[in-house]
Amino acid sequence: MRLEKYIPIVGEEIINEIVILAKRLKDIRVLHVNSTYKGGGVAEILRGLVPLMNELDVKTDWKVFEGDERFFNFTKKLHNMLHLPLEETITSEEFVYYLKVVYENLTKIDFSNYDVVIVHDPQPIGLVVNKERGQKWIWRCHIDTSTPTPTAWDFVRKFLGSYDAAIFHLPEFVYEKMDLPVYIIQPSIDPLHPKNVEIPDEEVKDTLIKFGVDPEIPIILQVSRFDRLKDPFGALEAFKMVRKNFKCQMVFVGGYAPDDPEGETVYKELLNLTAEEKDVFVLNLPPDSHREVNAFQRGATVVIQKSIREGFGLVVSEAMWKEKPVVGANVGGIRRQIVHGITGFLVESAEGAALRIKQLLSSDSLRKDMGYHAKERVKHRYLITRHLRDYLLIIHKILSAS
Amino acid sequence: MSNPFCFKSELWVTKYTGRSAKNLSDFLEALRTIDQLSIFYHFYINIFNYHNLPTYYTNSFAFWFFKNGLVILAEKVSVIDPLDYYDLEDLRKILIKVVEQNLSLSMLQKELTPFYFITVEREIIDLGCEANNLEEFKEGIKKSSIHSIFYHFITARLNKKTIINDYSSWLHSIGEVKKAEKINRIHPFMMTLYDIKREIIKILGEE
Repeated sequence: MRLEKYIPIVGEEIINEIVILAKRLKDIRVLHVNSTYKGGGVAEILRGLVPLMNELDVKTDWKVFEGDERFFNFTKKLHNMLHLPLEETITSEEFVYYLKVVYENLTKIDFSNYDVVIVHDPQPIGLVVNKERGQKWIWRCHIDTSTPTPTAWDFVRKFLGSYDAAIFHLPEFVYEKMDLPVYIIQPSIDPLHPKNVEIPDEEVKDTLIKFGVDPEIPIILQVSRFDRLKDPFGALEAFKMVRKNFKCQMVFVGGYAPDDPEGETVYKELLNLTAEEKDVFVLNLPPDSHREVNAFQRGATVVIQKSIREGFGLVVSEAMWKEKPVVGANVGGIRRQIVHGITGFLVESAEGAALRIKQLLSSDSLRKDMGYHAKERVKHRYLITRHLRDYLLIIHKILSAS
Repeated sequence: MSNPFCFKSELWVTKYTGRSAKNLSDFLEALRTIDQLSIFYHFYINIFNYHNLPTYYTNSFAFWFFKNGLVILAEKVSVIDPLDYYDLEDLRKILIKVVEQNLSLSMLQKELTPFYFITVEREIIDLGCEANNLEEFKEGIKKSSIHSIFYHFITARLNKKTIINDYSSWLHSIGEVKKAEKINRIHPFMMTLYDIKREIIKILGEE
């Protein structure tokens, strides 16, 4: 059983508790619906969670909501409008088209056999029009909706009234007018995923050398897609302040989707800006370069996440799991993952980042202590086993409430 | 033995109460009316969820005061020992009293970073393991998760409205008074649940 593989990581007693809890849900049928099997954090989490729930005899299916380009252009706009107050509006044509696609999906997905339906993010939210008597529907929102565009909120509110509960990553992501019971579940990483699994030191070293990085010189690393909101330019600025006093290298590991012209622009801008810098590496890796990312995180001396705005930023937990102190911007979920002064540092500026990187480069023992606490924090707070337990408990509580 | 010790554990799922405070006036208003389990959550989360907060403050109220530069309030609230209050209403009252006694009117409306009131839904699970003598008891504790330690050492006191933890209570019942008292003196807020577990096992192993 896959679940048993987590025993050496979290302990047998934790897995036993999950097994006992799952027995309370025997014969319950659960359906997750999102809008893609591939790419993105939601699909990655479901790929890990759904098989584990089935192993525990909680019959769980995962289905994908289908739509065409026009539909997804609209839901992308809806997503942005829920995320930020914008000048845009939703037209009646868009609303009608949204409902048309929802009804097309209702003919493809059979909801009748499920006790609990968990709908991820705004795209499939309208499926609840098909809710059956006795069923419980949960809206799992992965984005920050604290300051939505009013028309976007009015749109989702039309459907939210039929849901039984919502789940958000953080309380600060919840709009104050939300009137459903809101559970808080923070996302997680899978320690058995190729991105996080233990790898030999030789592989780490070989990977660094393969990309021209010197394994003998301290490495400052930022892993993130090429996006201005991840502030790679701020990270570079911090690095330049650090290297005045410390011999070190800066490595940017990231990528961008083929349909993301802005990502390509940021990548090229960063590449041009650092073309003459022998100690800066800008690596655009394919999306499945999990072991390479893993190797860079393990080979790093200090990890930085200098985002300007962040949803949750699980890449921070990935580095912490590898016992790395992380210097992170004091935004979004980063501020929840890093305990300032204990597992890393929270900073407000490039200067702040430089100061903390210097502090960490100066002290092996500080890095070691922080790295230890960072891994312990992830072990207790951000692993998939905790996430699984949270889902089981919420399902149990919601069904018991009825 | 007619009185076996049944090992249990406690699991939490957290809920947002929908209430947040952006100044001390809102904070006090919320404290007066918020769900009891929200008070419980914010006092105990640091120990329940090992590594939830910097450990130099014992609860999330105190940490919030500290983050907002209200260090005196942070210190005063940090020394409230929730284990002295098995009734959560009494804990609420003492918290409000300490906050009110240590603020001035000018502080009430000062804008602060928001405090989000979280609450919990608790689930107590039976681990299907019993102890009928001291040796089995010690083995049971060795196999216990930190959540089980939390339940027996901390929250069982609230459920049973007593200031004696479950372990000590059972040890008393089998005549192990010295061990019972030593375990009841362990101060959970100065150590992690792993440390507490080690300390209990050590006490149980003493002659």
